[in-house]
Amino acid sequence: MKFTIQRDQLIDSLQHVMKAISPRVAIPILTGIKIEATKEGIKLTGSDSDISIESFIPVEEDGLVYVENIEPGAIVVQAKYFPDIIRKLPLKTIEIQTDDNYQMTILSGGSEFHLNGQDAEEYPHLPVLHTDNSFEIKHDLLKEMIKQTVFAVSTVETRPILTGVNMKVIDGKLNFVATDSHRLASRVLPLSEEQKHVNFESIVVPGKSLAELNKIIEENDETVTMSVSDNQILFQTKNIYFLSRLLDGNYPETDRLIPDQSKTVVKTKTKALLQAIDRASLLAKENRNNVVKLETKDQHLEISSNTPEVGQVTEDVVTESTEGESLKISFSAKYMIDALRIIEEEYVSIYFTGAMRPFVIRPDQNDQILQLILPVRTY
Amino acid sequence: MKTWTSLKEDQPVVMKMIERMIKDDRMAHAYLLHGDPGTGKQAIALHLAMRIFCKSPHGAEPCKTCTDCRRVESGNHPDLHWLKPEGASIKKEQIQDLQREFTYQGLESNKKVYVIENSDKMTTNAANRLLKFLEEPSRETTAILLTDNQYRLLDTIRSRCQLLALRPLSPKALEAALINEGISPHNARLFQAIAPQLEQAKALDQDTWFADARKLMVQLVSMLHSRSNESLFFVEKQWMEHFKDREQLKIGLNLLLHWFKDLIYIQIEDNASLVMLDYKEQLEQQAFRYTKQQLTTILETITHAVRKLDQNVHPTLVMEQLTLQMQR
Repeated sequence: MKFTIQRDQLIDSLQHVMKAISPRVAIPILTGIKIEATKEGIKLTGSDSDISIESFIPVEEDGLVYVENIEPGAIVVQAKYFPDIIRKLPLKTIEIQTDDNYQMTILSGGSEFHLNGQDAEEYPHLPVLHTDNSFEIKHDLLKEMIKQTVFAVSTVETRPILTGVNMKVIDGKLNFVATDSHRLASRVLPLSEEQKHVNFESIVVPGKSLAELNKIIEENDETVTMSVSDNQILFQTKNIYFLSRLLDGNYPETDRLIPDQSKTVVKTKTKALLQAIDRASLLAKENRNNVVKLETKDQHLEISSNTPEVGQVTEDVVTESTEGESLKISFSAKYMIDALRIIEEEYVSIYFTGAMRPFVIRPDQNDQILQLILPVRTY
Repeated sequence: MKTWTSLKEDQPVVMKMIERMIKDDRMAHAYLLHGDPGTGKQAIALHLAMRIFCKSPHGAEPCKTCTDCRRVESGNHPDLHWLKPEGASIKKEQIQDLQREFTYQGLESNKKVYVIENSDKMTTNAANRLLKFLEEPSRETTAILLTDNQYRLLDTIRSRCQLLALRPLSPKALEAALINEGISPHNARLFQAIAPQLEQAKALDQDTWFADARKLMVQLVSMLHSRSNESLFFVEKQWMEHFKDREQLKIGLNLLLHWFKDLIYIQIEDNASLVMLDYKEQLEQQAFRYTKQQLTTILETITHAVRKLDQNVHPTLVMEQLTLQMQR
């Protein structure tokens, strides 16, 4: 393998793939970065086996030549040393070549490095995903969908499947669902006509991977291509490939959890409710799940919290409308705040079906978002 | 590196069972390979894992040339998880990490294999965690547990695995193999007793540490009689200096064990079984200072001492106690 490359481009790419490399890995080869040269350009790969990031440097882009004199080949070099070396090299262009004994020579100006590498065949073979089951989605839309669901994944590993976000396509709609069995967040996205062919069964993507992906995708107008294989999901932007392994197991049937009728419906300003609950939670004890009480009263909501050692608080929120039976209910302020925070619409409706039944929060005029929270039993 | 054929020679019964299972496509979800050290447990586990991942197997045998086989061998296969004791035991966290890994789908294939070396060294917590995991195997998962002593594992773990008993290496065959390798007959006899593995024995032969260890052992046993009041001092000053860690001390204890065994052999006039052929004279001098009863008691205390080392008792204390007991 041999090529000459612009240092800045290489540093940029390295920064991306380094995000996937962790110092604690199960197999030794994953402490390395895979570098692959083809006629089209240079591909770098980093992985911690849960997520893998590939970054591609094309030979030229917008008339600028990034890579020259390519002799195809591949090698794996230590991620601990390679990026630092590249960063500190004196010149803008770097010449890299390898020999048959997996030795890499890095030349730039007067400096010459020899790095011991490993056989690229030893590196995990990432699946080549086919494009027939993929579709495109705008950066900010994907980021939004992740933001609106990923907060609700479980953080305890007693039921590992719940640490992921369930994705599926039903009736031409892309569904994201996350739950930790106390609350549930879901987001639906209707697919456009040309995306309708996409069909994948329910898959579960680890919440951690999505959080990482969210950091990598830049906020702009470009599109990400999502493809799903048997055991991995790929998010592909222009020059970055983000792969995550899927969680194994069956995701619980969540549709049945959502009540289809309600006894009390409250419509109110999102911000006002959020702030009132936030204030009320100040006096709600953390070790008791931040429980606050809510009581419907004619065109008002009364939110209260009481911790005998500290004091008590009552908040009054004016509602737009209150229909149905009057109700007293207790729930975790934290879950409620999480749910309200991701709602950008001015008004929000809450559908209650009794003090011991889960309730649903939906933004007004937007049926794509649904939040479900289980109440807390108080005596 | 052993080959499938050489494994078949060493362990005909087990290898035949494995070949059968592969041919009939009746792989169990968990195996427990048990047998004395040196019987090739690791090698068999490695070959089994290779066969599971191999893309172009020849019948029951892995090809050993495809990238999957090569990566299994170099420890870089992403869907093979190989656990070893961290320090003295396999800890709960290690099993936890393994479980976490298994909540994910495989990285390359849908097959997954995990191997637990010295599985008897699992802490109680770890074993109980594993148990739950063994009970509910996810699809296409194969567990291979290795142990020297299957009875040190929980019954409940044993009952969930298919047991594969490895037959002990025949000492005569090993001895002959060692002599073939150019090791002197006297040493070959000793090594087959101490290090029941060809590679290990060859390494000991080159090691001056081992030669010194043997000398120290002989010094100690003769001191037990001639200058018994100095023996503790000797243990403190020289013995512990030489046998620095637990593994080394175990070799030292093993040497002692064989010394006293030899004394018994001399008493019952079974000279053919002697291991310390180089020290026959000393052995004969010492043999009649002990009664048979005393010798068996000493052998027992030595095996006790080995067990204590495994149980994390301070090595110096173990050795001092043993010296006092041997003097009595």
